[in-house]
Parts: sequence; C-alpha cells; structure tokens
Amino acid sequence: MENSQEKLAYEWITAEAGSVDVASEFYCGTRDVYDARFGRMIRELFEKRGNDASIVSAVVGEIANNSFDHNVGNWKDIPGIFFGYSFSEDKIEIVLADRGRGIFNTLKRVKPEIKDDQEALMTAFTERISGRAPEKRGNGLKFVKENVQSKKMHLNFYSGTAKAELNDQMKIEENSENIKGCLAIITL
Amino acid sequence: MRIKLQKIGDVLVSRPAGREAFLTISAYNLKDLKEDEEIEIDFSGVKVIAPSWADEVITKIAEKFKNVKLLNAENETVQATLKTLREYSDLKI
Repeated sequence: MENSQEKLAYEWITAEAGSVDVASEFYCGTRDVYDARFGRMIRELFEKRGNDASIVSAVVGEIANNSFDHNVGNWKDIPGIFFGYSFSEDKIEIVLADRGRGIFNTLKRVKPEIKDDQEALMTAFTERISGRAPEKRGNGLKFVKENVQSKKMHLNFYSGTAKAELNDQMKIEENSENIKGCLAIITL
Repeated sequence: MRIKLQKIGDVLVSRPAGREAFLTISAYNLKDLKEDEEIEIDFSGVKVIAPSWADEVITKIAEKFKNVKLLNAENETVQATLKTLREYSDLKI
C-alpha cells in the first residue's frame, strides 16, 4: 500500500473485528452516511476536476453501492464501508473497502462452477451475472471496467486472494494477502 | 408525457434510489397511460447518472411503453450509462 489513505483502508479491512476503527472519519456505517459523504465528494470533484467528475462519480457510486446491495444483512462483522478520497490538480485517489462477503462468496451462489477468487473477479467484470439473481441486474462492474478504460483511470480491486488491475487492459492475478470483503483503489 | 429527471435530482445513483424514483414516477406521471403513449425522458441538468439507478427507471419505463424518447442525453455519464444498459440490460432505445 503506497500512501496513508490506502494504508488506512488496508488496516481497516484486515483488522480483527474488535480492533476495527469505526470512529474513523472514513467509516460509513450506513448507506445514509455514505450518501452524504458521496454528495460532498461530488461537489469537491466538480470544483477541482470538472471534466472528470461525472464519470468518476458514477464509477465510485457503482462500487460503493455494490458493497451495500450485496452485504446488507450479511456483513462478516462490521457493517458499512471505508470511503476515503483525495483530490489535487494532478491526481485523484478514491479508496473504498467493505468487510462483506467478497465477490467469490457472492457469485458462487448463482454460478457454483466458479472455483476461486480470481475466476470470480473475472466473471464479475466481464459477464452478465449478479449474486442477487433472480433479480435482473449485474451491470455495475461492467460499467466500471469500460469507463476505467475509456477515462484512462487506474483501478486496483482486491477480493479474497485475487487482485484485478484495470487500466487500458485488465489483469487478474493472485494477491499475497487474503482480503475478506472488497477493496478498491481508484486513481486518475 | 415528459419526465424531467432533474426534478428527482442531479445525482442519480443506486438501485434503492432508482426503485423509489420509479415508484413515484409510476404513481404520478405514468398512471393510466396507454402503452403506446409517447414518453419523453429528459436528462437536462443531470450531472451524474449510473446504470444501477437507470436500470430501475429507464429500462423499466422502456419495458412498459413502446414509444420512449430520450432528450438532452449528451452528458458523458448519460451516454456511458445508456451504452451499458443497451449492452447488458437489453435496453432497446
């Protein structure tokens, strides 16, 4: 993890349940808290990076809302997400993390043949599938992938022992740490 | 019937918010309309829209009505969202 915001998110998602910092300014225990901070992020992003703000905000919205949509009632221990962002004229960085079910556990319910975290991430970013079937949904991470590429963003997305690195291409590889939930780091 | 999305908000993200918007639109804008009624969805003033919200509103309106038109849809996220819905949610407009 390169900087303090990423490091804090990493510590937040890997901490033992009793040690998770729920007083952190980055912690959003409910969707309402997240929505308020998301609204503030959008205002700041439009002020500082108006040309990028619209798509970046939509990408963040899709990832963060996935955390709530797929984990409400099923959080491993701590409900909600870690949501941090920092903007300068030459760099945007947004970090999102949840201590939820993770992509593999979410998708293997509806596609039992998925064998591991890497295959689950590949499926999530490329196939029309949702862990909430039979609801017709499952387009969010496809939107994220396409717009990370078109806007020349960089996304590192960790879940379980898999890491997806997206920019103009997508590379999925094994990650040495086991991230129980999801951790997303967006930079532009 | 013209539906101005900006009246709902200029940041339109998340499925729960989309579902609520669709229920409101269904009750106050679309009730008792015939399926061949012209429905204009106006995106003017929308700053951010994401496919999770739009799938609950745009896709559902398009499934219910045969003559749906999209107005002022030039915004970057509107275009990107419509592209995703056409590709992954069978949106035909």
